[in-house]
Amino acid sequence: APPRPGGASRFRSSSAGRPPPRAPLGKAEGRGPSRNRCGGPAGEMGLEVEPLFQAWSYFRRRKFRECSDLCSQLLERPPGEQEQTDSEYTVFQAAWSLKTRALTEMVYVDEIDMDEEGIAEMMLDENAIAQVARPGTSLKLPGTSQGAGPSPAVRPVTQSGRPITGFVRPCTQSGRPSTMEQALKTPRTALTARPITSASGRYVRLGTASMLTNPGGPFINLSRLNLAKYAQKPKLAKALFEYIFHHENDVKNALDLAALATEHAQFKDWWWKVQVGKCYYRLGLYREAEKQFKSALKQQDMVDTILYLAKVYLRLDQPVTALNLFKQGLDRFPGEVALICGIARIHEEMNNISSAAEYYKDVLKQDNTHVEAIACIGSNHFYSDQPETALRFYRRLLQMGVYNCQLFNNLGLCCFYAQQYDMTLSSFERALFLAENEEETADVWYNLGHVAVGIGDLNLAYQCFKLTLVNNNDYAEAYNNLAVLEMRKGHIEQARALLQTASSLAPHMYEPHFNFAVLSEKVGDLQRSYTAARKSEEAFPGHVDTQQLIKQLKQHFAML
Amino acid sequence: MSLFKARDWWSTVLGEKEEFDQGCLCVADVDNSGSGQDKIIVGSYMGYLRIFNPHPVKPGDGLQAEDLLLEVQLREPILQVEVGKFVSGTEGLHLAVLHFRKLSVYAVSGTLGNVEHGNQYQIKLMYEHNLQRTACNMTYGPFGGVKGRDLICIQSMDGMLMLFEQESYAFGRFLPGFLLPGPLAYSSRTDSFITVSSCRQVESYKYQVLAFATDADERQETEQQKLGSGKRVVVDWVLNIGEQALDICIVSFNQAVSSVFVLGERNFFCLKDNGQIRFMKKLDYSPSCFIPYCSVKEGTINTLVGNHNKMLNVYQDVTLKWAAQLPHIPVSVKVANLQDLKGVIVTLSDNGHLQCSYLGTDPSFFQPPRVESREINYEELDAELKELQKIIKEATKTQDILPKSEKHRDLIVRAEVSPDLDAESKAIDSEIKGEAVPSVTVKIMIQSRVTAQRPNLAVCVQAPLAVTCDQFFFDDLEPDASETVVLSVFLKGNCPPSELEGTCVVSYDTPTELNPEGIPRVAQCNFRLPLRLICFPVQPSKAANHKLTIDTNKPPVSFLTIFPDFVDPSEDDQANVLGFQFLTGSKTTLLASKTSQPYRIQSDELEDLWLITKELTLRLEEHFKKQKCKDFACTFSGSIPLQEYFELIDRHFELRLNAEKFQELLSERAVQFRAIERRLLTRFKDKTPAPLQHLDTLLEVTFREVIALADAAEENEANMSQAFTKLKSATHLVIMLISLWQKLSADQVAILEATFLPLAEDTQELGWEETVDAAISYLLRTCLSKSSKEQALTPSSQLCMPKDTSRLKKNITLFCDRLAKGGRLSFSTDSATQQAAVMPG
Repeated sequence: APPRPGGASRFRSSSAGRPPPRAPLGKAEGRGPSRNRCGGPAGEMGLEVEPLFQAWSYFRRRKFRECSDLCSQLLERPPGEQEQTDSEYTVFQAAWSLKTRALTEMVYVDEIDMDEEGIAEMMLDENAIAQVARPGTSLKLPGTSQGAGPSPAVRPVTQSGRPITGFVRPCTQSGRPSTMEQALKTPRTALTARPITSASGRYVRLGTASMLTNPGGPFINLSRLNLAKYAQKPKLAKALFEYIFHHENDVKNALDLAALATEHAQFKDWWWKVQVGKCYYRLGLYREAEKQFKSALKQQDMVDTILYLAKVYLRLDQPVTALNLFKQGLDRFPGEVALICGIARIHEEMNNISSAAEYYKDVLKQDNTHVEAIACIGSNHFYSDQPETALRFYRRLLQMGVYNCQLFNNLGLCCFYAQQYDMTLSSFERALFLAENEEETADVWYNLGHVAVGIGDLNLAYQCFKLTLVNNNDYAEAYNNLAVLEMRKGHIEQARALLQTASSLAPHMYEPHFNFAVLSEKVGDLQRSYTAARKSEEAFPGHVDTQQLIKQLKQHFAML
Repeated sequence: MSLFKARDWWSTVLGEKEEFDQGCLCVADVDNSGSGQDKIIVGSYMGYLRIFNPHPVKPGDGLQAEDLLLEVQLREPILQVEVGKFVSGTEGLHLAVLHFRKLSVYAVSGTLGNVEHGNQYQIKLMYEHNLQRTACNMTYGPFGGVKGRDLICIQSMDGMLMLFEQESYAFGRFLPGFLLPGPLAYSSRTDSFITVSSCRQVESYKYQVLAFATDADERQETEQQKLGSGKRVVVDWVLNIGEQALDICIVSFNQAVSSVFVLGERNFFCLKDNGQIRFMKKLDYSPSCFIPYCSVKEGTINTLVGNHNKMLNVYQDVTLKWAAQLPHIPVSVKVANLQDLKGVIVTLSDNGHLQCSYLGTDPSFFQPPRVESREINYEELDAELKELQKIIKEATKTQDILPKSEKHRDLIVRAEVSPDLDAESKAIDSEIKGEAVPSVTVKIMIQSRVTAQRPNLAVCVQAPLAVTCDQFFFDDLEPDASETVVLSVFLKGNCPPSELEGTCVVSYDTPTELNPEGIPRVAQCNFRLPLRLICFPVQPSKAANHKLTIDTNKPPVSFLTIFPDFVDPSEDDQANVLGFQFLTGSKTTLLASKTSQPYRIQSDELEDLWLITKELTLRLEEHFKKQKCKDFACTFSGSIPLQEYFELIDRHFELRLNAEKFQELLSERAVQFRAIERRLLTRFKDKTPAPLQHLDTLLEVTFREVIALADAAEENEANMSQAFTKLKSATHLVIMLISLWQKLSADQVAILEATFLPLAEDTQELGWEETVDAAISYLLRTCLSKSSKEQALTPSSQLCMPKDTSRLKKNITLFCDRLAKGGRLSFSTDSATQQAAVMPG
């Protein structure tokens, strides 16, 4: 059997098309001095704009920094001015509530998009029903689906054994290790990082301002807040809850407030139930969260509630239940993109690529500017050997204004495999020009090396792979391919060292193991060849060449 | 993200630094021209009111002078402009302008001139109402089902609905539970007002209910609409949507049923008349404005939604039909009939960018910038490529990554050890109790011939010794500059060191033309510390467990001459016997016979012999060198003290086994700890609290065990490092004895040292025993092999911790035997290079 260069070219997931977070994360916008004044720009004309109205208008136009500044000025006025005749309503309360909302919106990230599972959550997971799930019912055993997934020979897989997707979203990168020891020993590279220790650490950084220091102390001092009092004022409580949850990231206090408020609303307000569920979810109480979401859905059908509930089911590793839920949701809200997209993602995670592609097509029928769907279908076409079709999808992304390294990288590869050689190099050139970090540069060089192998310029290939390693020292595929080139040159020792590096960096790849087996067999070290071949078989059971090699080796052993 | 942009039909920028918001744009045939042509009315927060009638000659034109029909400045900010049948007695359209404290209704009329630019337009104030409360927004419609006229409802900032029946004020009502104003709309089918309150609910109030609620004004002063404090108004229906809304629109086109459209901050809702959700759509962007309009397909409604990514999306119910890129973020969007063109999209941005556009297939604005590319000159490029490939080839040809030794070093580092101990000890934190620990000063000088960037000096001594400061950072050195630092060395750990040497290394960067960052380089030097640092003279003792005899070929030398720092010259009886006491307590005695050559070294511990023996041979060599005596040599005849050496090996190995045991126990306890934690977690999460059944005690006990184990492991580690130092001392001694015994050459001694003293650290995974075992068996297989059969043996492929030391001991004994029988340590050419890389120094 001939040695194989590292399987398929590594296609980059395009992370670009992701809709930008709704608010710049704690980023202070440039403030013009004229915006700062209470009277607004109209002041110079002698036209006085009411400050509260101005703040309200700023809020509607999403100028949160200005809105918050204006509200602060209103709040700083001496109490005498705030007196109003009726007790129900005061300017003070209105300004306070508006500022709360503005501060929240500044850091708001949709809770549905946030998902990160830490080691502690994975290891202390007592929700698992069966240790060994039946095929097709669990996300933990990606290899168990019956659907004809692409073989790893064609489509590279991640550490957890899933095929690489076309779109980077939370949780597609991290795998689920089976034991704590394995989790800790997983090689920690820049891209396939081992799961973070605990989810709470991540939330602090993602879309919250709780780590930002505020001159003059925080806006609301949570420890001195009488939550019971606020829970009885629904008009203030909802904004306050979002502030505590999103801005302060204080789930425990948020839960206290939500629990009091839902009680005050006599359990009739579905919104509070969803919020209680969200808090439970963050605290890892999935069964309790499920109860709350279900109860909320009984009161009022909402797309968001369905998405939250599905998220709970996914965390409980019940993808089939989640799929059913999505389908029920689609009966109520036909054509809802978020629901169809959720179905497609589950299919993709369960290695059922063909039906995932079907659902992504449904998404495009509803919303033909959906970047995730376009990218996923494109990469699916690429890996099912239809680079021309993939090229059309990626070209569409380009026309839509996605302009980043990953896209040009993918375009370059598609062009190469579709035999449009004139565009290949210029695409890669652009990709290099756009690369934002060394990992991206490494990817482009790796693919250039692949192109060089394809056109037979081994010298160039060698240098490309070397450059890959200069940019990203952990690139297992590049080590493997370098080893193959060294093997061709007859440098057995170097090749062996490179293969060993590759297999220690990426034990999930079968190519280094297989190549090592072939190499050892060639020099006559049958024992090592056999061990490596077994590892290769473990990583990719269906690989014919490995099976042949093992058979051959067994014959040898029998003869001895 | 869109494929296409909205095609510009007509656009202009209004004013300078003016602000606009949602209510500031209105489209209607305001001058009652009857032609069905809409005019665009724009008011700004600066108080400017403008009316446009765009008629571009060709699409994409800018503002022509005659397009602007009217521009007036009203004295107050304009919050909202609306057009309706606001004047009694006529069905003509009039313009209502909302200010903070005033509502004005104007009639707009035009007089035709002879030519087009002679047309004149003016506004005439019909009536105005002064408001007692700050207004926020308004809506209008045939409230109560009146025919042919429109009534106005104004929402104030503090939540009062003020209703005006054209020229007269009708009544005012407070909305219950009000905090901040939301959008307001009137539904004529149900005759009710619909708003979204601060409780995040869509609320509908019947006009009838509002009208019949106890009128607040009657109880109040006669003054018009003063401080109305209406009674609680009953809500018709409520729908909780869980978010704030940006806008509400109510549409009832002929073919479709009437619907209430609510644009929330994150979702977009279509409600039935009774407040049930007909459909909703989750938006994955932040919307800014919307407008529903009729659809070509029966039973569906099209909606235009603008967002903060400068996009205009067209939905048919929930399906995205079109997406167009706009040049600005729209705060308000309308659909108008302009110049016989139906369905022109009018958008307004908050800084006054007014645009009329239509949907078309112009590609989006985005043009990828050109990549910087130079003119390709193939000949030059070929030459450059060749040149580069040559360099690469050169670089890959020389496999050796070690730089060649340079004759002229760019940077020289020298260390000077002062001959005397410090008068005042500089030792800090020494573990040795009791006596004062001496220290010795080392002066390190760096001299640079070139520019050295970021020089960094590291001083390193072997473990029980320590330095007062081991890292120095300097500023960049100019050519021919020098730096000097002074530091002190002292004994820190509670055991004698295995070497009395130290190293200092300077790392620095030398910048070149191509590489201004600099190429990293190092320079190093070694220094030798005085024996006095670790021991002092005592009375010699006669008895000892271990004795060594070193022969020389010269007459004995008095200790007075070779150990002047240990012998008091007044007592001449000490001339042939000398006692040393290490700071750590153990004693060693050195004896010289007066007449014959041999020297005897004796001590209770094997490892203590090493330093004294080494010092003796060194000083003797030095002495004879001074006397110009060249053929001086030491010899050793006795048997190598292997048995005692093996004891030390066993001691070290035993500690390693202990460490392994501790590690296993620790991981076992950690697993147990996690299991208990998991159990406890389940208990605590249970709704019905179950008794803990002493799980907490178990957790505590396990925790204590983990801590105790960790402490024990730490202690073991400290012992192990001490044992290893002793082992190293003994190894040095054995190497020296073997080389004296077999009179090995310097090359052979180097091989011996590389075999017995690997450079690698002694760790649990890869320890001294297996490394040395592998090295010795390699030597036994190659240069010391007796037959070709031995050479064929393959070594075990992996280095791992052996079960016991018997194999190592056997190999060492065999090694000594082979050497005694005349084996020579030398390699054939190919393996020599391999060995060279391992050699220290």
